[in-house]
Amino acid sequence: MDRALVRSVGVTEIVTRTSSSAAGSWERFEELYRSSRDHVYAYVLTLLRDPAAAEDVTALAFERAYRRRRTFDRRRGEERAWLFGIARNAALDELRRRRRTTTLVTDPSEDVTDGGEDDGADVALRRTAVQAALAKLPAREREIIALKFHAGMSNAELARVLGVTESNAGTLLYRTMEKLRKACDATA
Amino acid sequence: MRLLDQDPIDPEIAATLDAIDATLAGEPVDARYAELAEIALLLASDRPQVPPEFARSMDERVGRRFAPAGRAGAGQTVAAGAARRRRLARRFWETAGALAAGVALIVAIVVVAGGGGGASSASSSSASSSAASSPAVSGAAASSTATAPARAPAPLASAAPHTSASSAAKAQASSTVAPAQQTSGSSPAVLQPPTTGRKVVQSAQLNLTAAPSHIDAVAQEVYDVVGQVNGIVNSSSVTQGGPTGYANFQLSVPSASLAQTMSRLSQLTYAQVASRTDNTQDITGQFDAATRALADARALRTSLLKQLENATTTEEVDSLKAQINDAEASISSDEATLARLNNQVNFSQINLQINASTPPVPVSHGGGGFGIGRAAHDAGRVLTVAAGVALIVLAALTPVGLVVALFWWVGAAVRRRRREQALDSV
Repeated sequence: MDRALVRSVGVTEIVTRTSSSAAGSWERFEELYRSSRDHVYAYVLTLLRDPAAAEDVTALAFERAYRRRRTFDRRRGEERAWLFGIARNAALDELRRRRRTTTLVTDPSEDVTDGGEDDGADVALRRTAVQAALAKLPAREREIIALKFHAGMSNAELARVLGVTESNAGTLLYRTMEKLRKACDATA
Repeated sequence: MRLLDQDPIDPEIAATLDAIDATLAGEPVDARYAELAEIALLLASDRPQVPPEFARSMDERVGRRFAPAGRAGAGQTVAAGAARRRRLARRFWETAGALAAGVALIVAIVVVAGGGGGASSASSSSASSSAASSPAVSGAAASSTATAPARAPAPLASAAPHTSASSAAKAQASSTVAPAQQTSGSSPAVLQPPTTGRKVVQSAQLNLTAAPSHIDAVAQEVYDVVGQVNGIVNSSSVTQGGPTGYANFQLSVPSASLAQTMSRLSQLTYAQVASRTDNTQDITGQFDAATRALADARALRTSLLKQLENATTTEEVDSLKAQINDAEASISSDEATLARLNNQVNFSQINLQINASTPPVPVSHGGGGFGIGRAAHDAGRVLTVAAGVALIVLAALTPVGLVVALFWWVGAAVRRRRREQALDSV
């Protein structure tokens, strides 16, 4: 084969490999976005209790994740945990910013009670009690609830996002659930 | 960093967590976890929903890969951005490469020019460099001391041709009057006092340097030179062994041959001139005074002898004899003084010291061309200097890097702590 042609084929292979690598990277990110968008928003909203801020932080988190997608190291955890770590940092930065300026708190329970329209009266009552108890929890415990029940994370992923051991994460979740249960009982 | 999970979780907690996970998975759980299961289901079903407008907006942003709206198509924007980044990166690396090549070229030129110049002058200015590093001489315990015979040995048959053969290479060795050092390849400047009939005593001090292994050979050359000029080795001390060596000679040579002797001693095969001192002292006054005193004493003795012939009394004869004895003693003393002065004038003293020193790097000047060996030598020097520069840069950057890393680590820790504090304050 002609040497120039061989060289051309080699360059083409490199370009194709690079392009396919970039395309693969984009496809993985897009898949991560599709599977996690709602969960990230729910987590951030539960943490911030401000829909507008939650939208901004969610968008910022995905943009950061997109910019840093090449730095993701699978050996350090799954992509979801990595994404939620970015979202958590963005949310905490937003909390710090809001603490320095003003406090804007919107009770998200006003927006999330729609699911109880078809419930029976007891269930609706119970749902309201849970929402009230959740609203009274500190942000750190709300965060655990959001990661577990709104983002659907396993305890290992939860530990990864929070930066604690899995047993610590399990213990935190257990205590938060007990606190929530007692608050619900007290409300009832 | 993944945290190690060393603490085993409490069995009750583990069972509760398993029940929660089973509930979320739609599996039945034990009745004692019913309340927690209900709360878990309610929490999961109460997940905040994404507003449709925001979802649509996010989809659009992701669709154009977070490029600002209102620009060209996402693919084109990304492609243009990537191309721009590639161009910038290529330009950066081209500039950095050119700078690195320029620096390397400058270093190479400096090294080659500096090293080549030093090497080419190593032979001609060896005396200068050796003089700068003239080692302190110490009588090494392991060394051997040999006392040379008072008379220099007869010149070896091979001495003359040996010296002659090396004279071409040594022609550049020269010396100046102390403390000036030999600095160039000029021929030896031999000082010669004016010959105006005056009585002048000459002496010289010559310091040579030689490789420790050549001290013996240099000493033999000194004996040869002294023998050739019919000089005398009054005393000598040659010490050698190990990395140091030392030799000292007290020589007497005919004054007429002093210049020749000094010239030859300055051109020994295995030695370089470190310093040379020439001394002269005019003793014409002393010589004339001694001559006059001798003439006076002789005249006095002649007069006394005549008076003795005419003496008539015993007392007169005895007195004249005593005076004649005094005059003869004075004559003897004056003659000895004149002989000593003549000897000083006719024989010059040379104090010769030979110190061991590291020999200069030999550089072949055959033809003065740029050969493979020279190129390899210069390349080695360039690589050595480059490695040295890299080492220095690394040594300078290491603490800077550590400080930067420390600041980064502290900054990250502070930022993490502030975030956690923000979480606690809500």
